[in-house]
Amino acid sequence: MRSLPFLLVTLVSGAVAGTILGIVNLGVVEPYIDKAIQLETQNEIRAGENVNTDEMAGYRIWQKSGEIVGGIVYGISLSSLFGIVFAYSRNSLPGNNVKVKAILLASIMCFVLFIVPSLKYPSNPPAVGDPDTIYYRQSLFVAFLVISGASALGVTALIKKINQTVSKKVAIACTIYGAIIIVSYLAMPSNPDKISISMNLVEAFRLVSAATIVMFWEILGATYGTLWNRFNRQNLKKVTAF
Amino acid sequence: MRMSYTRQLLIERPDIPRVAIGILVAIMLFGLFSVGFDQGQLFSLVEGKEAFDSNWLHEFVHDMRHAAGFPCH
Ligand SMILES: [Zn+2]
Repeated sequence: MRSLPFLLVTLVSGAVAGTILGIVNLGVVEPYIDKAIQLETQNEIRAGENVNTDEMAGYRIWQKSGEIVGGIVYGISLSSLFGIVFAYSRNSLPGNNVKVKAILLASIMCFVLFIVPSLKYPSNPPAVGDPDTIYYRQSLFVAFLVISGASALGVTALIKKINQTVSKKVAIACTIYGAIIIVSYLAMPSNPDKISISMNLVEAFRLVSAATIVMFWEILGATYGTLWNRFNRQNLKKVTAF
Repeated sequence: MRMSYTRQLLIERPDIPRVAIGILVAIMLFGLFSVGFDQGQLFSLVEGKEAFDSNWLHEFVHDMRHAAGFPCH
C-alpha cells in the first residue's frame, strides 16, 4: 500500500474506534469517576480544606468535554502503533482474511499493552492516586509496559528464526513471554498509593473501564481490516488498469 | 545474485514507505504523551510555568487518562 491510503486507513480507524470509546465512556465510566470525585471532595471538606465547588463544577465540565477528544487522540496514537505493527506482521499472521488478521493482532496488542500492564498496575478512579508520587508511578507503569511490549516483540523475532511447527512456536513464545512477565510482576514494586475509598467502587471502575478498552481494540482491529481491504482493492485495480 | 534473491524472500519487508512509518511513530509518541502523561509540560512550552498550575491539557484528557489505565490522581 502507498503512504497516503495507509496513513488514511490507520488514522481513520483510530479516530473511529477512539470516538466510540469516548462516547461509551461518557455513558458507562463517567458515573464511577463522578462518584469518586464526589467522595474525594467530601474527604477534602472533612479534612478542613477549602473547596471551591463552583470551580470544581467548571473543571468537571471541561474534563467531560474532553472525553471524546481524549478518546480520539488515544485512538489515533494506538492505531498508529497498530498500523506499524500490522505493516510488518500481516504476512506472518495466520489466515488469508485481512480482517481476521487485523482483529487477531488487535487482540494480541490489547493483551500485551493493556491487560498485562493492568494486572500489575490496574487503573484507578480519581481520589486514589497521590499527586506526589505521580512521576514515580508513571515510571513504574512505563517500565512494565515496555517490558511487556519488548518481550512480546523479542519472542516473535525469536520464533520466526526457529524451525518448528506453528503450534510449537506459539507454545514456546507464550512460555518465554509468560516467564518474563511473571518474573517482572514479582520483581517490580507495587503501586505505592493506599486506596482510601470504597474498594467496591474501585473494582467496578477497573472492570468497566477495562471492558471499554478491550472493546476499543476489537473495534480498531475490525475497522482497520475493513478499511485496509477497501483501499488495497482500489490499489490493485489501479495497477491492473495499466 | 542468488543470495540476494533468497534474502528478499525470507526477510519480510513492509511495502509501506518509511516516511509513513516515521509519521506514525511521531503521532503515536505525541498522542500517548498528551493523553497519558502530560502534567503541564506541553503547554508550558508556550504558557511558561503557569501551565503546571492550570494544567489545562491534563484536565482536558483527564477522564480518558483514568479510564485507559494511565497513572493519575
Ligand atoms: Zn486524575
